[in-house]
Amino acid sequence: MQITFWGVRGSYPVPGSATVRYGGQTSCVETRTASGDTVIVDAGTGLRALGNKLAGEAGGKPRQYHVLLSHVHWDHIQGLPFFSPAYVPGTKISVYALLTAADELNQVIGGITRHEFFPLPLESVPAEFDFHQVEPGVDFVIGGFHITPIALNHPFGSVGYRIDGDGASWAYVADTAPFDQVLHKQHFLKGLETLTADDRSALASMREALMARLKGVDTVVYDTHFLPEEYARFPHYGHSTPDQALELCAEAGVRRLVLYHHAPSHSDDQMDEIAASYLAKGAPLGIEVLTSFEGLTIQVGPEPRGDDDLVEEPTRPGTGVQNVVSGEST
Amino acid sequence: MKLRFWGVRGSFAMSGRDYLKYGGNTTSIELVTAAGERLLVDLGTGATELAKELMAGEFGKGKGRLPILLSHTHLDHIQGLPFFTPFFIKGNEIRIMGADPISGLSLEATLQNQLAPHYSPLNGLENLAAGVSISSFIPGGTIALPGFVVTTAALPHGNMWTTAFRIVADGKTVTFLSDVEYPSPDDPLPAALALASSADLVIHDAMHADDDYHLRKGWGHSPMSAGIVVCERAQAKRLALFHHSPDATDVMIDDVVARLSATTTIPLFAAAEGAYLDV
Repeated sequence: MQITFWGVRGSYPVPGSATVRYGGQTSCVETRTASGDTVIVDAGTGLRALGNKLAGEAGGKPRQYHVLLSHVHWDHIQGLPFFSPAYVPGTKISVYALLTAADELNQVIGGITRHEFFPLPLESVPAEFDFHQVEPGVDFVIGGFHITPIALNHPFGSVGYRIDGDGASWAYVADTAPFDQVLHKQHFLKGLETLTADDRSALASMREALMARLKGVDTVVYDTHFLPEEYARFPHYGHSTPDQALELCAEAGVRRLVLYHHAPSHSDDQMDEIAASYLAKGAPLGIEVLTSFEGLTIQVGPEPRGDDDLVEEPTRPGTGVQNVVSGEST
Repeated sequence: MKLRFWGVRGSFAMSGRDYLKYGGNTTSIELVTAAGERLLVDLGTGATELAKELMAGEFGKGKGRLPILLSHTHLDHIQGLPFFTPFFIKGNEIRIMGADPISGLSLEATLQNQLAPHYSPLNGLENLAAGVSISSFIPGGTIALPGFVVTTAALPHGNMWTTAFRIVADGKTVTFLSDVEYPSPDDPLPAALALASSADLVIHDAMHADDDYHLRKGWGHSPMSAGIVVCERAQAKRLALFHHSPDATDVMIDDVVARLSATTTIPLFAAAEGAYLDV
């Protein structure tokens, strides 16, 4: 099973000379089994380039695509209207997400293509969309993948996914705050609020359920938006640090952690420092710490036979995929 | 009057080394008068970069004043709003002005939808700490702002309307004509020509290569030559090609500028993120 990173940034896309190596697009990851089954996790702005690649592979023919959403904040859904396979008639796109608000999922997703935001409403897009509500702990199967949603701690709710395939497994844990200082619910937080006994118990259960799912997972991709000093200023924003991710991975016996959902303010040079510093911090814990960048492909579990079919793995940031052609009209 | 492009890209923010010369951020333009009065047009991702500079000055202390004009509410023109940090500082006074996007739906309701709880942890405009006022105008009139006089007009943008601006300050005129498509690109609408009349600088939609335009007619954008026609007919002095396609790399834009310059006596350039320009 392989994981390829198409967008590694949190919050909003950051073009410019400071992000050419790690990439400026927001959350989007592709995972693929040796037999070619593919699932997309999150539909941030990285989805545009992934869509162009998938459209190229499909050669203009309609296919079915599966998109797992962690939650529906803009940085995780903004790529959807720019997913070029959606404009090929006969294409089917299944979207899986947590139901977070009173609205139906199709209204929430359809809402991003309302007339005032985007020229073409969802119902006029040639692809046929279907929406699936996921529930933490209730697993399901897509092709060769076995998928388990995991509740996370983020404003208005978020889910991570444990994804098993080809006898291996990885987990997508974004977006989430740690499980001690704040319990995110469905209201605006100006800062930290005092936790009630019920809040503490809810946090403990959420952490316990996450730990149970991470046990035995080969690779964990984690929301490590903040450095510790940044987290100290914004503990109520719903994101974690690499140190918090390392602590959970060590406890769960995970051997490989991938830093992900980088703060938009972190330049390539800062990311180099973060990568080196946490690689060193992980080593004594027996955890290999990788720092994701656009174009990075990771093999999870044993390499399949017939290595010629594999995507060539870029070995350092900035050597990855380049964006290719499509057209849009906002 | 000085002007700085903070975002010149249309539709979609593009990162990577193919987009460094012109920039990958979506639409946002800052105008500053000799007396230091400031006006912002559109809140694409480019506005997040301007925000960093503003926060180093009076906006970081909660003493900033800023009028913002929105051409329309397609996402590439408002996607920087939730990350425009002056909104988070109490005391700043920010005034957003634009046309209602659809009859029956106000500009304010539209921006409120952008910050709806499922889409944004800000959970609504009421949680912006700054004093933010959002007012709708009907295009076709004139707005007086500190240091600036702005004349507006509605122009067709695919299946909706966008607002174009003629901005006058310090005796100079800048005309903003982005996200416009005329029924015939060879024959700009009179409203566009009136706004561009004798302008010192016309910033014009240049989303599509002329050769490709027939494939995308009706999508709401102009072929690159449309701005030249506007400037020639309106006797404008200078043209900035703007709202570059996400597929237009630096090399492609360089090539277009060279080819188009050879077809006209109007001085033209491709808008690029970076330094302040004297108008």
